Amino acid sequence: MTEYENAIEIKGVTKYYDGFTLDNISFDVPKGCIMGFIGQNGAGKTTTIRSLLRITDINSGEIRLLGLDHIKDETAIKKRIAVVFDELPFHDVFNARDMARIFEGMYPEWDNAAYMQYIERFQLPVKKKIGQFSKGMKMKLQIACALSHNAELLVMDEATTGLDPVVRDEILHIFMEYLQNGERSILMSSHITSDLEKIADMVTFIDKGKILLTGYKDEIIEQHGILKCDKDKIQEIDAEDIVSVRTNNFGAEVMVHDRENASYKYRDCVIDPASLDDIMLYYVHRDMKEWS
Amino acid sequence: MKLYTSLIYRELKLTRKRFLLMLILFLLLSLMMMTPLILVFISKPAKGEESPLEMIPLFVGIVALTGGFMAGTNNGLQKADISSGWKRYSFVLPPTAKQQALSDLLLKLGYILFFGLLSAAFELVYTAAADYNKFGNKLYIYMLNIFLGAVCVVMLVDIAYSYIMMFAKDKNQLKIIGVIAFLGAGVILRVAGIFFNVKTPEQPADGDTLISDETINRFEAVLLSGKTSLCIFAVFAVICTVYFLAMWRSHERREP
Repeated sequence: MTEYENAIEIKGVTKYYDGFTLDNISFDVPKGCIMGFIGQNGAGKTTTIRSLLRITDINSGEIRLLGLDHIKDETAIKKRIAVVFDELPFHDVFNARDMARIFEGMYPEWDNAAYMQYIERFQLPVKKKIGQFSKGMKMKLQIACALSHNAELLVMDEATTGLDPVVRDEILHIFMEYLQNGERSILMSSHITSDLEKIADMVTFIDKGKILLTGYKDEIIEQHGILKCDKDKIQEIDAEDIVSVRTNNFGAEVMVHDRENASYKYRDCVIDPASLDDIMLYYVHRDMKEWS
Repeated sequence: MKLYTSLIYRELKLTRKRFLLMLILFLLLSLMMMTPLILVFISKPAKGEESPLEMIPLFVGIVALTGGFMAGTNNGLQKADISSGWKRYSFVLPPTAKQQALSDLLLKLGYILFFGLLSAAFELVYTAAADYNKFGNKLYIYMLNIFLGAVCVVMLVDIAYSYIMMFAKDKNQLKIIGVIAFLGAGVILRVAGIFFNVKTPEQPADGDTLISDETINRFEAVLLSGKTSLCIFAVFAVICTVYFLAMWRSHERREP
């Protein structure tokens, strides 16, 4: 087994589509870390995940998973990772027991006892056909399968989308447990930023196929702020401090990317902390500078 | 071994319904083909009279042909995998494209063996009950040739269909590709009909029959020959290899 520092290393990856390009993206997911991968729909999250899982081939760049090359060492990698998609990719005619029979031959480290524990914990029926499961049950089954072969890296593409807050919370709790030994890592793409604010250590923000931000979540949140001022005050703010400006009937809200510096420079203005949602929103509108 | 057990278990479970339906159809047809025997028992034809048992080789041929078609036909697995999203999911699973293709081939061979044995069993019962041993082993060679010949033809169609299917990545594309494949098959058959100058009922061969006795005799001789069996076995081996390669390519092909 290879020693590695980063569970995922993406360097200069480019993938061309008609009308969309994943443009020279780079970021790392350190071992033992939960990386939240955020961006609006169509930003390139799924393309990035498909590229790193080799569901689609990239045009250029380099991807390493668990310290191994994602093409050359594909089979070795796939024994040690788990993937959860937004939709259950299992056939409706199977039941939970069938899935265990299917996966136990595929994964050398498949643990039937762990799988049955998850099934019991999620209160999933063993003999009921998957076609009769609710959306939440389907997602729980997919997660149970993903967590039952001692995977070192868990990749999730919009896994919590469409689930009610109770189920989402339960699932997030399980992910936290899963990470406890520090040897496992998670890449979790979502546009539900509240989930990521709860559990992510790091965040990567992608928009229009480009990585805009990547780093520790707390640092990113700490660095950014929303400066509140009158509309005529906007002219006094340096353009280089601004991400974008949101105007309304009462004044303007300016996203600044260096809150500490801004609080010195613009002492007469109030600067509120920004959430991941705010950061995403203001960065998405960065080209317009002023929006409402 | 454990890996192949898992892969084949999944495929067997998914194709089970289709398989059962085909089995029922096959058994119904086989029973229908037993009517000459029943007629003999009922009417008891006198010596010299044309016996319904004369039809036995034809009926054995029909059963073998049907068994071959059912064994070689597409089992709907690829379509089901694309619809459910398993095809995409399979890219993130440990089995390699080669291992998946081998499992597809093993399943296909399993079905071929099953329907082959069933056809042979039908013939055994038939010939034993009708005391129809004048052909000796020839009737088995005849059955085998028809069975494997049908398997080869249907597998060729399946390979072409599976190859086209490879380009579909979701349900919508599957529908479009299905329609294209259907229309394409129609065009190919039409062109083949022109190319091989297939005679229509309006163009009888000799006299008023569609096929002359001479042609039938020649065809019978070919079907009863052991050399034909060897040739068909060779073709079958090649087709199995091509099937494996097509499946391998299909599992290996990434999404655009």
